[in-house]
Amino acid sequence: MDEFLKEMADILDEETVGETDRLEDFAAWDSLAILSVISMADSRYNAIFSAQDIKGAATLRDLYELLSKGNQATGAG
Amino acid sequence: MPNLLDLTGRHFLVTGAGSGIGRAIAVLFAALGAKLSLVDRDEASLVEAVAGMPPGDHARHVFDLEDVERIDGLVKDIVATNGPLHGLVHAAGTQAVMPAKDIKPETWRRILAVNCEAALALGRNMGRKRVYAGDGGSIVFISSIMALAGNPGSVAYSMSKSALHGLARSLALELAPTGVRVNCIAPGFVHTPMLERLARTWDASQREAVESLHPLGFGQPEDIANAAAFLVAQTGRWVTGTVLVVDGGYLAR
Repeated sequence: MDEFLKEMADILDEETVGETDRLEDFAAWDSLAILSVISMADSRYNAIFSAQDIKGAATLRDLYELLSKGNQATGAG
Repeated sequence: MPNLLDLTGRHFLVTGAGSGIGRAIAVLFAALGAKLSLVDRDEASLVEAVAGMPPGDHARHVFDLEDVERIDGLVKDIVATNGPLHGLVHAAGTQAVMPAKDIKPETWRRILAVNCEAALALGRNMGRKRVYAGDGGSIVFISSIMALAGNPGSVAYSMSKSALHGLARSLALELAPTGVRVNCIAPGFVHTPMLERLARTWDASQREAVESLHPLGFGQPEDIANAAAFLVAQTGRWVTGTVLVVDGGYLAR
């Protein structure tokens, strides 16, 4: 989780982020940030997500859990 | 009437030959009579590609083109196995969709190594007497419309593919006295494993939006193979140092 939060802080242009922080509260949470998360999921978890999947996460913890489950979460290969 | 696309007796190296555009090029060139040396990092896909090709003296070489330093050795092995070359097609490529702010150096270095540094390492060998078979040669680099039009998340890929255009122009001038021509093909979005992987990150409306940018729809690998055959065969004998856009109309807007 710590490594994930560090990477998310980079993506969201923040010094630090917390697992209960809501994604929509970050000014940098936009389509490019979502692209970065999709790419991180691919390289770190070898899982492919769509922007729609990522947008379903409300908090950073939700996002972490989604990515950790890999493609079991969406049923995609 | 003679078949101007005939490649009988000519030897070509094709990278990325295991799948997608590279495989389609290999299949077409073999059907036109060429002898092929096929390069891919995935052995199973190479075996499958050869099984789907017309029979011939085709050789398989499992190699990761990120290892640019060893490409001279690869070409030496190819010449030792199958004789000197009449040309090559560099269709191998890699991509990572990531905004400039977040892409890591190791990611863009791999993209640059495979997509364009390998092209230089391969292409320069055609200037060597022990590698070039003579009698007219042709090099084709598969670039992309992303070399000519921007797209968010494609910075490293676009940079690598644009570099191919510069490489083709200068190498064309260096090799023209030897009879070797050098060109690029810039495809639009083509149905390949790379596109399918990318498309899994899109929802239905995004897929529709991207396809609608192509007035003729997404292409097939065979559309690019046809253009490559034109460039390497007699039909392309007065074409060098240029980019042939094959994009279903993407750049027409």
